[in-house]
Amino acid sequence: MREVFLEVSAEKNLGSFRLDVEFSMSRSYCVVLGPTGAGKSLLLELIAGILKPDKGRILIDGKDVTNLPPEKRNIGFVPQDYALFPHMSVYKNIAYGLRRDKKGKRKKVEEIAEKLGISHILDRKPTTLSGGERQRVALARALIIQPKLILLDEPLSAVDLRTKEKLMEELKLVHSEFEIPIVHVTHSLIEAVTLANEVAIMMDGKIIEKGKTKDVFSSQVQEVADFLAVKGLFKKLSDVFEQWK
Amino acid sequence: MRFSFYLFLAVLSSIIVLFILLPIVATLSTQFYDFDGLLEALGDKAVWNSILLTYYAAMLSTLIAVVFGTPLAYLLARYGFPGKSIIEGITDVPVVIPHTVAGITLLAVFGSNGLIGSFSPVKFVDALPGIVVAMLFVSIPIYINAAREGFSSIDIRLEQVARTLGASPSRVFFTISLPLVARHIAAGAIMSWARAISEFGAIIVIAYYPMVAPTLIYERYVSTGLSAARPVAVILILLSLAVFVVLRLLLWGQKR
Repeated sequence: MREVFLEVSAEKNLGSFRLDVEFSMSRSYCVVLGPTGAGKSLLLELIAGILKPDKGRILIDGKDVTNLPPEKRNIGFVPQDYALFPHMSVYKNIAYGLRRDKKGKRKKVEEIAEKLGISHILDRKPTTLSGGERQRVALARALIIQPKLILLDEPLSAVDLRTKEKLMEELKLVHSEFEIPIVHVTHSLIEAVTLANEVAIMMDGKIIEKGKTKDVFSSQVQEVADFLAVKGLFKKLSDVFEQWK
Repeated sequence: MRFSFYLFLAVLSSIIVLFILLPIVATLSTQFYDFDGLLEALGDKAVWNSILLTYYAAMLSTLIAVVFGTPLAYLLARYGFPGKSIIEGITDVPVVIPHTVAGITLLAVFGSNGLIGSFSPVKFVDALPGIVVAMLFVSIPIYINAAREGFSSIDIRLEQVARTLGASPSRVFFTISLPLVARHIAAGAIMSWARAISEFGAIIVIAYYPMVAPTLIYERYVSTGLSAARPVAVILILLSLAVFVVLRLLLWGQKR
């Protein structure tokens, strides 16, 4: 059994929605799979420290971070629309997390931009970028703080199919090259199958199954089987077909 | 059917636009036949003093509105807290109070026997500070609402991501939120400055003297008549429109 790196055991009441998660992962690429409205983004917000749990705790690498604000957690967060700062150049976006270290700043930004293939757009404004470029910038901005963990919220939903395939390869590379554990939230089976070492399945604010990818995909739990069989809540069959095209 | 609907829209819209424009155009054109009166007013030192005083006091009032109103606007746009809706209601109170009444309530605080006025070394009654507080009172809701709308329009994810990148709440405020609402703040400041310039009711209660332009115009109208008041009004209209247009153009230029 591999060592547990991240452990979330938390409850949060949000009026009409209730989050009650038991989640854990090792230093791997973990995909959290679930339908829209399952609470996947909220799980990421809990881990990032944007949302405080009513009850429970969050451990990263054995350290209790439950009461730490986001700026003290050292976690890279890439939200669904990337949230690039629109009033700053790509360079300034990437450099935002570097503060006092003025000397090495330029070099660090250039290094990471080089690795992600965005050196040529450093002077541009985020609004002029394509979906794929935006994602690389958001990744670079998150990676430059050398985070302990990267959180990706539906990172591939805003790009076209061709870009998606390329970006999936890159995410794999990022994971192996930077050796940073990743939590990747999606409703796409394809992304889970392609990228994940570990998979967690989330529904109605709960993690209903988790483990190594192949174990989860042969799960006997009825809900999981339903979900994976593209039944039940996951009715959007067309969505899956489109991704195979 | 469709044509008659457009006609309906066009006619009613034109009427209301004309309603705004006609009094101004009529005033300006009538003055044209009394050009000497206008020249006389242009050479009148009292007129210029009152106009400069009006603009200066409105500028001070706007500065105070920006410094104190921006944090409140951010608070209201970003945080939920007990009593929030009461605070929101309070910030809108000046809009619903008649302005002479506003002047009287200000006297209760800043008058010579008022809560603050009784011991304050700064004199408010019949003095510049009195004009400024009267202007501030009536114009602050406009600024707060504009700034608040600006903060609400920022994607909260931007602020959240900045926090995960190691920025403290104050750094996020100054490097992300504030630059992104700069235009809203500027527009709100212009509108509240314009509102301050147009104030009359609250000002005459707390500070009839030194005379701001609206007070001067009123005084000349009452004591001498329209022929004395109108030239000053015309100067004020032209100047205010010029300033307003320039500021709007500056803002518009920034947008592009």
